[in-house]
Amino acid sequence: MNKINREKFTALSFFLSPMILMVVLFYLVPLVMTVYISFTRMRNWNVEKYLTEFVGFYNYQRLFYMFQHDPTFKAVILTTVVFVGITLIINVFGGLALALATFFISEKPASSFRLLWLLPRMSPIAVYSLVWYYFFHGSEIGTLNSILMKLGVISQPIPWGQTVPWGAWSIIIFVNGLVGVSFGMIVFTSALNQIPKELIIAARVDGASAWEISRKILIPLTKWHFLYVLTWQFLSLLTTYPHIFLLVQWDLVNKDYGTTLALYVFNTAFGRGEQDQGLAAAAAVILSIIGIIGGFITLKVLQFEKMMKRPRGDF
Amino acid sequence: MKARAVWLIAILLLGVIASGCIGGEKETTTQTQAPSTEVQLTGDFTKDVIAIGKVLEQNGVNEVKFSAWGSGDPNSVMRVYGIVEAARRINKVWEENGIKVKIVITDTHYVASFQDAYKEYLSKQPLGQAGDFFVNSYAFLPTLADEGYILDITDYANAYKSVIDDFYPSLVEASKFNGRLYGLPQDTEARPLYVRKDVAAKIGLDVSTLPEKVKNGEFTWSDVYYWAKKAKESGAAEWGLIHRKGSAHPDLIQFIFAFGGKLYDEKTGKLVVDVPAVYKWLYVEWKFAQDGLLPKDIMSWDWAKQIHPTIVEGRTLFDIGGTWYWTEWQTKQYYAKGGGEPRGLKPEEVKEWFAYTLFPAGEKGDKPVTLSQPFVWMINSKAGAQNPKYDELKDVYHKLAFLMLIKASDPDINAIHSVISAHLPVRKEAAKLIKDEKWLNDLKNLNLDLDQTVKDNIKDIVQATVNPINAQFLADVSYMLEYTHLAPAHPKYPALADIFKEAVDKVLRGEMTPEDGVNYIIQKVKADPELAQNVEIVGEIPKDWKFPQ
Repeated sequence: MNKINREKFTALSFFLSPMILMVVLFYLVPLVMTVYISFTRMRNWNVEKYLTEFVGFYNYQRLFYMFQHDPTFKAVILTTVVFVGITLIINVFGGLALALATFFISEKPASSFRLLWLLPRMSPIAVYSLVWYYFFHGSEIGTLNSILMKLGVISQPIPWGQTVPWGAWSIIIFVNGLVGVSFGMIVFTSALNQIPKELIIAARVDGASAWEISRKILIPLTKWHFLYVLTWQFLSLLTTYPHIFLLVQWDLVNKDYGTTLALYVFNTAFGRGEQDQGLAAAAAVILSIIGIIGGFITLKVLQFEKMMKRPRGDF
Repeated sequence: MKARAVWLIAILLLGVIASGCIGGEKETTTQTQAPSTEVQLTGDFTKDVIAIGKVLEQNGVNEVKFSAWGSGDPNSVMRVYGIVEAARRINKVWEENGIKVKIVITDTHYVASFQDAYKEYLSKQPLGQAGDFFVNSYAFLPTLADEGYILDITDYANAYKSVIDDFYPSLVEASKFNGRLYGLPQDTEARPLYVRKDVAAKIGLDVSTLPEKVKNGEFTWSDVYYWAKKAKESGAAEWGLIHRKGSAHPDLIQFIFAFGGKLYDEKTGKLVVDVPAVYKWLYVEWKFAQDGLLPKDIMSWDWAKQIHPTIVEGRTLFDIGGTWYWTEWQTKQYYAKGGGEPRGLKPEEVKEWFAYTLFPAGEKGDKPVTLSQPFVWMINSKAGAQNPKYDELKDVYHKLAFLMLIKASDPDINAIHSVISAHLPVRKEAAKLIKDEKWLNDLKNLNLDLDQTVKDNIKDIVQATVNPINAQFLADVSYMLEYTHLAPAHPKYPALADIFKEAVDKVLRGEMTPEDGVNYIIQKVKADPELAQNVEIVGEIPKDWKFPQ
């Protein structure tokens, strides 16, 4: 190794070490541990007893057997596809629409408007879910039912969450969509603010409408942010379950058509009185593999490598 | 370059491992003398407490810290304050005998959901952060004992045979695992069928003889159906029957026992899906729901806004509930008939409006039943670990913890809990006390020798619940314990209960016929190889079975 390389290495190690440490501590170690635990009989958090009790692929076999034979598993897969698909569209395009809408109004009302959309993300999950529990409750105590009944639109309360599949799907999509939309909004807002104002001013001078400015300037220039939000939201929707868990637990939403794969995995490993960490770890590994494949496909389709290409010119 | 990278990663990993080890080393102290670290339990409580106190004092321990974890409904706080009171009583013995040691209860952790409490205990016990005392359903005891998370108290209990013998034997049995004792019963309950007296009067149902008829097996679920239908059709009530929801509340499995079925095979140690009994259970639910006597969506009803108000406002004739409902209706604001502010019921109102019987037999020839879920006081196998010289004095701390349980099981502490939470006493001595009017009066005025913290914490509950009517109710339902069944204390039972719940929900909503429901249960059980190994599927769906008969 020559001197320059050595210097470069020292400098690189210095700057990269905090990041490497973080990655190793919070990503690599848990990943290795998860894979390891998935091959043990670990349960009830009894590390002393089970950490060295290897069972080979038993946890994976058990899981795949359940996938094949559980009468509700088909509903779970269908729910996952619909939930991730539609919520993703709402989150990404909703975020974009909100960012564009606030871009064209003056800063003060725009920030309070954005703050409003951040509320679902800021409120504690249980509180936020409880609000929607009472809103969508399937009897006359539900806010939506009681409003509709007072207006005379319906005479009998509608069990929204138990109307399968679309009633249940609509609620979980709606509740999660509201939470997720603010993420895209923030990313897109910051992206839009990075665009040189001259471009917009020039377009305005040329008589372009807000719609034309959005379509011809703003959206094309936020393509990479779009890609980022899309991939990020896809992965997070695939693995999210806290809100859905509560809504199903409280019997607001039908269990079969309110359970996504992530929640199914959680319930199988933890939700049935037993704390089966071995099984949970196996399920987490499978979910991670699905996530990795999904993420990889998204990046390929949207040509992520183009963004990562070295810029032309001197370096 | 490559070698350096390897070095870098190696050093990093070493750092991670080292950081895990720091602090893991055990504290060592230099011994200047060798005081005794052993105590033999004799069965004489005062003597044993003094002996333990002296050993602790000689070892320089002046303060023993313990924490108590409990869970349950808001009126059951004595599950943790019983421990606080026991500590005070032991402290008093030490003080009177000039021993300068004191027990301090550092934490009284009380949460509403007993399942959440159990999960928290499971995850924190291996870290040494779980409570020293843990009161929870007996259903979790086998798992906790099997994992070595709780203390085997069999040998200690042998010295206190006279106390143990005062507990109801079935409850002591429920506190055992593989023949060894792992806890002391704390409370239990029965699940009566409540009958609304005013609605019954309107349709000519005589409730005065009903408990006896149910007890003799003359009044079966077909009769419940008949009267429920009459109440609904005559407009006397909106519903014929209301019951509880969820899988953690095992009330509905009473149907299995009431139809002569079983849930557990003692010979094989496996859970049982008793197909004929389960079919009949689902059929009854289905029939009630189809005929509009029981809400189809009861499994998603809201406890506080729908289930309880419907019962206390007299909108149903029958209700499958629990003994603790009796005081819960008095302390919680469920009643809002006529559009006023919701309020609790007065004891007189509860007495005037509700009759109670056993859970009737499924059909003629079957027996009436009830169901109990005893709560058990358990000791953490690491109890006392937060105290000095734990390694040497471990046995002493464990024995002290056991003596605290013995003290917390004092008849008066158990009786106070029973009266204010409407659970049934676990000891015969406590059952006697409940019938003692003078004692009840003293409790009402909190004129008892109790720790001030305990008094402060139960003051409001005592005000609302201590009453001759409530005490009489407890005395009246005590006979039900003779008919009681326990849900199996099997680690896989919660998974099976979950499946039952889903099937009941689908059958009630009319998404499945009772037959589909049974098949769904079987399919679900078989889908998990581990569950399938632990469950026997017995019998077949009966042909030509009719309900009501």
